Amino acid sequence: MVLGVLGFTAAAIAMLICTIPAGIVIARGDLGSAVVGYEFITSVMVMVLALLAQAFQRSSLFELPVLLAMLMFGGGLVFVRAMERWL
Amino acid sequence: MIRDVCTDILLGLAVLVVLGASLGVLLMRDAYQKLHFVTPAALVAPALVALAVLVQAGLVENSGETCLALVVMVIAGPFLSHATMRAIRVRGQGDWRPPQKERKP
Repeated sequence: MVLGVLGFTAAAIAMLICTIPAGIVIARGDLGSAVVGYEFITSVMVMVLALLAQAFQRSSLFELPVLLAMLMFGGGLVFVRAMERWL
Repeated sequence: MIRDVCTDILLGLAVLVVLGASLGVLLMRDAYQKLHFVTPAALVAPALVALAVLVQAGLVENSGETCLALVVMVIAGPFLSHATMRAIRVRGQGDWRPPQKERKP
Protein backbone atom coordinates (compact mmCIF):
# COMPACT_ATOMS: atom_id res chain seq x y z
CA MET A 1 0.00 0.00 0.00
CA VAL A 2 2.83 2.37 0.88
CA LEU A 3 4.50 1.60 -2.45
CA GLY A 4 1.30 2.48 -4.27
CA VAL A 5 0.97 5.78 -2.41
CA LEU A 6 4.59 6.59 -3.19
CA GLY A 7 4.00 5.81 -6.86
CA PHE A 8 1.04 8.18 -7.06
CA THR A 9 2.94 10.95 -5.28
CA ALA A 10 6.01 10.47 -7.47
CA ALA A 11 3.88 10.52 -10.62
CA ALA A 12 2.20 13.74 -9.46
CA ILE A 13 5.58 15.39 -8.82
CA ALA A 14 6.92 14.19 -12.19
CA MET A 15 3.88 15.60 -13.97
CA LEU A 16 4.28 18.90 -12.17
CA ILE A 17 7.88 19.05 -13.42
CA CYS A 18 6.59 18.32 -16.93
CA THR A 19 4.60 21.56 -16.84
CA ILE A 20 7.80 23.64 -16.80
CA PRO A 21 8.28 23.52 -20.61
CA ALA A 22 4.69 24.69 -21.10
CA GLY A 23 5.37 27.49 -18.62
CA ILE A 24 8.32 28.54 -20.73
CA VAL A 25 6.07 28.56 -23.81
CA ILE A 26 3.51 30.73 -21.96
CA ALA A 27 6.20 33.17 -20.87
CA ARG A 28 8.09 33.43 -24.16
CA GLY A 29 5.78 32.34 -26.99
CA ASP A 30 3.19 34.28 -28.96
CA LEU A 31 -0.43 34.46 -27.82
CA GLY A 32 -1.59 31.35 -29.71
CA SER A 33 1.25 29.27 -28.32
CA ALA A 34 0.57 30.63 -24.83
CA VAL A 35 -3.05 29.46 -25.05
CA VAL A 36 -1.85 26.02 -26.09
CA GLY A 37 0.53 25.98 -23.13
CA TYR A 38 -2.30 26.99 -20.81
CA GLU A 39 -4.50 24.16 -22.08
CA PHE A 40 -1.65 21.70 -21.65
CA ILE A 41 -1.01 22.79 -18.05
CA THR A 42 -4.73 22.63 -17.21
CA SER A 43 -4.97 19.07 -18.57
CA VAL A 44 -1.94 18.00 -16.56
CA MET A 45 -3.31 19.65 -13.41
CA VAL A 46 -6.49 17.55 -13.63
CA MET A 47 -4.31 14.46 -13.50
CA VAL A 48 -2.12 15.86 -10.72
CA LEU A 49 -5.19 16.51 -8.55
CA ALA A 50 -6.49 12.98 -9.16
CA LEU A 51 -3.07 11.49 -8.39
CA LEU A 52 -2.68 13.47 -5.17
CA ALA A 53 -6.21 12.58 -4.06
CA GLN A 54 -5.42 8.90 -4.53
CA ALA A 55 -2.03 9.30 -2.85
CA PHE A 56 -3.51 10.97 0.24
CA GLN A 57 -6.53 8.61 0.28
CA ARG A 58 -8.99 11.46 0.75
CA SER A 59 -12.36 10.91 -0.88
CA SER A 60 -13.30 14.58 -0.76
CA LEU A 61 -10.27 15.54 -2.86
CA PHE A 62 -11.55 13.48 -5.80
CA GLU A 63 -14.13 16.17 -6.54
CA LEU A 64 -11.43 18.67 -7.46
CA PRO A 65 -10.27 16.98 -10.71
CA VAL A 66 -13.90 16.66 -11.85
CA LEU A 67 -14.49 20.35 -11.15
CA LEU A 68 -11.26 21.42 -12.84
CA ALA A 69 -12.04 19.30 -15.91
CA MET A 70 -15.41 21.03 -16.26
CA LEU A 71 -13.94 24.47 -15.63
CA MET A 72 -11.17 23.73 -18.12
CA PHE A 73 -13.78 23.31 -20.83
CA GLY A 74 -15.76 26.47 -20.03
CA GLY A 75 -12.77 28.64 -19.21
CA GLY A 76 -10.83 27.49 -22.25
CA LEU A 77 -13.73 28.23 -24.59
CA VAL A 78 -14.21 31.70 -23.09
CA PHE A 79 -10.49 32.39 -23.39
CA VAL A 80 -10.16 31.30 -27.03
CA ARG A 81 -13.31 33.23 -27.92
CA ALA A 82 -11.82 36.35 -26.33
CA MET A 83 -8.57 35.74 -28.16
CA GLU A 84 -10.43 35.38 -31.44
CA ARG A 85 -12.37 38.63 -31.05
CA TRP A 86 -10.57 41.06 -28.81
CA LEU A 87 -7.01 40.13 -27.89
CA MET B 1 2.06 -6.79 -4.94
CA ILE B 2 1.02 -7.45 -8.54
CA ARG B 3 -1.53 -4.68 -8.19
CA ASP B 4 1.22 -2.25 -7.12
CA VAL B 5 3.42 -3.26 -10.04
CA CYS B 6 0.59 -2.78 -12.55
CA THR B 7 -0.25 0.58 -11.00
CA ASP B 8 3.36 1.73 -11.20
CA ILE B 9 3.64 0.64 -14.83
CA LEU B 10 0.48 2.54 -15.75
CA LEU B 11 1.65 5.63 -13.86
CA GLY B 12 5.06 5.43 -15.51
CA LEU B 13 3.44 5.25 -18.93
CA ALA B 14 1.26 8.26 -18.08
CA VAL B 15 4.30 10.26 -16.98
CA LEU B 16 6.16 9.29 -20.17
CA VAL B 17 3.23 10.42 -22.29
CA VAL B 18 3.05 13.76 -20.44
CA LEU B 19 6.83 14.20 -20.70
CA GLY B 20 6.79 13.60 -24.46
CA ALA B 21 3.84 15.92 -24.89
CA SER B 22 5.51 18.66 -22.87
CA LEU B 23 8.66 18.41 -24.98
CA GLY B 24 6.49 18.59 -28.08
CA VAL B 25 4.74 21.72 -26.80
CA LEU B 26 8.13 23.27 -26.09
CA LEU B 27 9.95 22.32 -29.28
CA MET B 28 7.38 22.62 -32.06
CA ARG B 29 7.48 25.76 -34.17
CA ASP B 30 4.00 27.27 -34.16
CA ALA B 31 0.76 26.96 -32.22
CA TYR B 32 -0.83 24.60 -34.77
CA GLN B 33 1.96 22.09 -34.29
CA LYS B 34 2.08 22.59 -30.53
CA LEU B 35 -1.66 21.92 -30.25
CA HIS B 36 -1.20 18.39 -31.58
CA PHE B 37 0.85 17.56 -28.49
CA VAL B 38 -1.85 18.67 -26.05
CA THR B 39 -4.07 15.77 -27.13
CA PRO B 40 -1.92 12.95 -25.64
CA ALA B 41 -1.78 14.83 -22.35
CA ALA B 42 -5.52 15.50 -22.42
CA LEU B 43 -6.76 12.09 -23.55
CA VAL B 44 -4.19 9.29 -23.31
CA ALA B 45 -2.50 10.16 -20.02
CA PRO B 46 -5.80 10.71 -18.11
CA ALA B 47 -6.99 7.31 -19.34
CA LEU B 48 -3.81 5.72 -17.98
CA VAL B 49 -4.19 7.57 -14.66
CA ALA B 50 -7.83 6.50 -14.36
CA LEU B 51 -6.80 2.92 -15.07
CA ALA B 52 -4.09 3.16 -12.42
CA VAL B 53 -6.58 4.45 -9.83
CA LEU B 54 -9.02 1.73 -10.86
CA VAL B 55 -6.37 -0.97 -10.46
CA GLN B 56 -5.21 0.40 -7.10
CA ALA B 57 -8.55 1.24 -5.49
CA GLY B 58 -10.93 -1.10 -7.30
CA LEU B 59 -14.44 -0.19 -8.33
CA VAL B 60 -15.24 2.36 -5.62
CA GLU B 61 -16.46 5.95 -5.43
CA ASN B 62 -12.97 7.40 -5.82
CA SER B 63 -12.23 5.57 -9.04
CA GLY B 64 -15.70 6.48 -10.28
CA GLU B 65 -15.00 10.18 -9.81
CA THR B 66 -11.65 9.83 -11.56
CA CYS B 67 -13.42 8.14 -14.49
CA LEU B 68 -15.96 10.97 -14.49
CA ALA B 69 -13.14 13.51 -14.82
CA LEU B 70 -11.70 11.38 -17.62
CA VAL B 71 -15.06 11.34 -19.45
CA VAL B 72 -15.36 15.12 -19.15
CA MET B 73 -11.85 15.54 -20.55
CA VAL B 74 -12.47 13.09 -23.39
CA ILE B 75 -15.61 14.98 -24.39
CA ALA B 76 -14.23 18.49 -23.85
CA GLY B 77 -10.74 18.01 -25.30
CA PRO B 78 -11.61 17.79 -29.01
CA PHE B 79 -14.07 20.70 -28.76
CA LEU B 80 -11.46 22.85 -27.04
CA SER B 81 -8.75 21.91 -29.54
CA HIS B 82 -11.05 22.74 -32.44
CA ALA B 83 -12.05 26.08 -30.90
CA THR B 84 -8.43 26.95 -30.22
CA MET B 85 -7.37 26.09 -33.77
CA ARG B 86 -10.24 28.14 -35.17
CA ALA B 87 -9.42 31.12 -32.95
CA ILE B 88 -5.76 31.07 -33.94
CA ARG B 89 -6.69 30.93 -37.62
CA VAL B 90 -9.25 33.74 -37.32
CA ARG B 91 -6.73 35.81 -35.43
CA GLY B 92 -4.06 35.24 -38.07
CA GLN B 93 -6.08 35.33 -41.29
CA GLY B 94 -9.29 37.16 -40.40
CA ASP B 95 -11.54 34.21 -41.24
CA TRP B 96 -11.45 30.49 -40.55
CA ARG B 97 -12.53 29.64 -44.11
CA PRO B 98 -9.96 29.46 -46.91
CA PRO B 99 -9.68 32.49 -49.19
CA GLN B 100 -12.28 32.71 -52.00
CA LYS B 101 -9.79 31.87 -54.77
CA GLU B 102 -8.68 28.67 -52.99
CA ARG B 103 -12.20 27.31 -52.49
CA LYS B 104 -13.32 24.41 -54.63
CA PRO B 105 -16.36 25.11 -56.81
